[in-house]
Amino acid sequence: MKARSEPVWRFLLPSFVFVGVFSLYPILDSFRLSLYRMILTLPWLGQKFVGLENYRDLASDPVALRSFGTSLLFVAVTTPIEVLLGLGMALALNESFRGRGWLRAIVLIPWAVPTVVTSQMWRFIFNDRYGVFNYLLFGAATQRYWAPLAEPGLALMAIMIADIWKTSAFAALIILAGLQGIPGELYEAAGIDGAGAWQKFRHITWPLIRPALLLALLFRTIDALKVFDLVFVMTQGGPADSTNVLQFYGYKKSFAEGMLGYGSAIAVAVFAVSLALALFYIRLLGASVLRKERTA
Amino acid sequence: MSQILRLTIFFCLVGGVPLRAAATELRFVAWTSESAKVWAEIIADFQAAHPGVKVTQEVGPSSSTEFHDLVTQKLRNRDAQMDVFFMDVIWPAEFAAAGWALALDELFAAEEQKKFLEAPIAAARYAGRIYGVPLFVDAGMLYFRKDLLEKYRFAPPRTWPELVQQAKTILAQERDPYLTGYSAQLKQYEGLICNMMEFILSNGAALWDERSGRSALEDDRARQAVRFVRDEIVGAIAQRGVLAYQESESLALFTQGRAIFHRNWPYAWEVASDPRRSKVAGRVGVMPLPAFPGHKSAAALGGWQLAISRFSRRRELAWEFVRFMTSEATQKRIALFMGRAPARAALYHDPEILRRNPQFESQYQTFIRAVPRPRTPVYLPLANIMQRYFSSAIALKDSDIDALARSAARDMDRVLELLRDRSAP
Repeated sequence: MKARSEPVWRFLLPSFVFVGVFSLYPILDSFRLSLYRMILTLPWLGQKFVGLENYRDLASDPVALRSFGTSLLFVAVTTPIEVLLGLGMALALNESFRGRGWLRAIVLIPWAVPTVVTSQMWRFIFNDRYGVFNYLLFGAATQRYWAPLAEPGLALMAIMIADIWKTSAFAALIILAGLQGIPGELYEAAGIDGAGAWQKFRHITWPLIRPALLLALLFRTIDALKVFDLVFVMTQGGPADSTNVLQFYGYKKSFAEGMLGYGSAIAVAVFAVSLALALFYIRLLGASVLRKERTA
Repeated sequence: MSQILRLTIFFCLVGGVPLRAAATELRFVAWTSESAKVWAEIIADFQAAHPGVKVTQEVGPSSSTEFHDLVTQKLRNRDAQMDVFFMDVIWPAEFAAAGWALALDELFAAEEQKKFLEAPIAAARYAGRIYGVPLFVDAGMLYFRKDLLEKYRFAPPRTWPELVQQAKTILAQERDPYLTGYSAQLKQYEGLICNMMEFILSNGAALWDERSGRSALEDDRARQAVRFVRDEIVGAIAQRGVLAYQESESLALFTQGRAIFHRNWPYAWEVASDPRRSKVAGRVGVMPLPAFPGHKSAAALGGWQLAISRFSRRRELAWEFVRFMTSEATQKRIALFMGRAPARAALYHDPEILRRNPQFESQYQTFIRAVPRPRTPVYLPLANIMQRYFSSAIALKDSDIDALARSAARDMDRVLELLRDRSAP
């Protein structure tokens, strides 16, 4: 027994070290920093332990609270749309037709393009004078052209559209993997029993891809909560602070303003919210996966 | 496994040898220049004059905010791989207080400093010491379409209300759906502060009170100027899209012949007058920005300096390089071939430069009067508050400017409070 357990540890060690150095240590260190007042540009103030003061400030910082609201709105709008679009794409790509391989590759392009490039592209698309967006909506009637990135009511929506365009394919990829795992015999059997397309979807596909759907939802939620590059390139948080998501606010505090303590408190807050959401999803997901294992 | 190891060792050795054998290396971090060739020639000349020295240039993003991220990251990590770097005029206080930039007092003699324009030298100082050598200066100016103003018999506007009136008349008569009255940089970013500061200062107000160290945004005349931008500029003579513009977008609008008035830095002259890049070449005028009636025109001071990292291990060589780059001869080349306004006063009387860049003569007055942004190590926290305030105040038609100004002033004072409990310089 002892002889068998030893090599297991040896094989696990590298991954533990990796996770420890690159995940655990930064998280713990961020948490430690968040308990200090540390301002890079004012080194004479030193690194002073202030307990939970940064968190108290955060809870009463109207800009941070608004940013948090903006982040939540972003998550609430983009993730369901992305997962639904992803589901649609996955169902289509799971059918067999000519050129399916090509199409599968093409669908992934938006996701494979670096986000900074995507962001720059959408910035041009939404340009109020030359943007394709306006051309498609209004053609040559330039006096009616909109400036989505200049309107506090529209800028966040513009970023949402860019995010949905970019990441729906990722949701599709995960859901497609789930679809591939469903044995074809189930559909055959259902067909023999006289089930129609809707009934097959409702009673076979849907229950069996639920874990994949939840997984896609989990990934997208966490990523959307951490949205940064799109904002950085497209709006820098403006206009009127309308796209200042929490992650971007934290970045500005830490890296532009040099307020490492406060910036870390924001980072920890984002982490805590992601963790809570992840645990919630994993509970849902875990339950369904476990049930599947027991029946298998 | 052992073969991979052997290969790794082999490549490490092979890769390491030339590094050790190489000449003394000086690392220089700059942003992408629009005239990279001229720049490379200047560096090549420095190398030719200093045998055994190799200058390695690292090119960063040209946006000041993003370049700041790059440079401060290196400085925070005490990176000895950066000797000399570009420093925006708004950074010296921050870099000096953080102990990142080397104080140059012993090297940069007082009489040498006198040969530069006063404003950029003042901007390079913090707490009695100097941290940068000015490379070139920037100041906000007004560009306009000479042909359109002449067509309607307008003299170039001296006041903001006059500018708005002229733009309204021209827009109404021209009936050109592509034409806009005013293009500038009103996106929520650093350029917004420069633009708004010029409106506020030209109404006899200020961003903050240098003496008391408190915000001055609540001042009546400061709020008036902000209200003017919201009601008379944005969504009136300018399209709302201007709220998403940085320098390049706003300049593109002007060079495409789609804007009557345009606020930008001196480099815009070179672009707007170049027939290959501009549809309005030859039809452009430039002048100091207008003021509100009864007040003086104001320009935000911009520009770049060269600074030496405190973590550099080659300080003497670094200074040699800085001196070369900011020498009269090099600044002349930069002025002649890059269209950048030199930081040395004497060059504004240089016939060769004036022949090629006649606009410098009239711009000189603007440069010597240009106003630096607040000089403080907490400039960036203050700037983020001001950016938020200005953008919120002008982007929404029914914004409550009084309440926004009050809360911005309160936030600024809270940041400034940090400076009060100082125990060291």
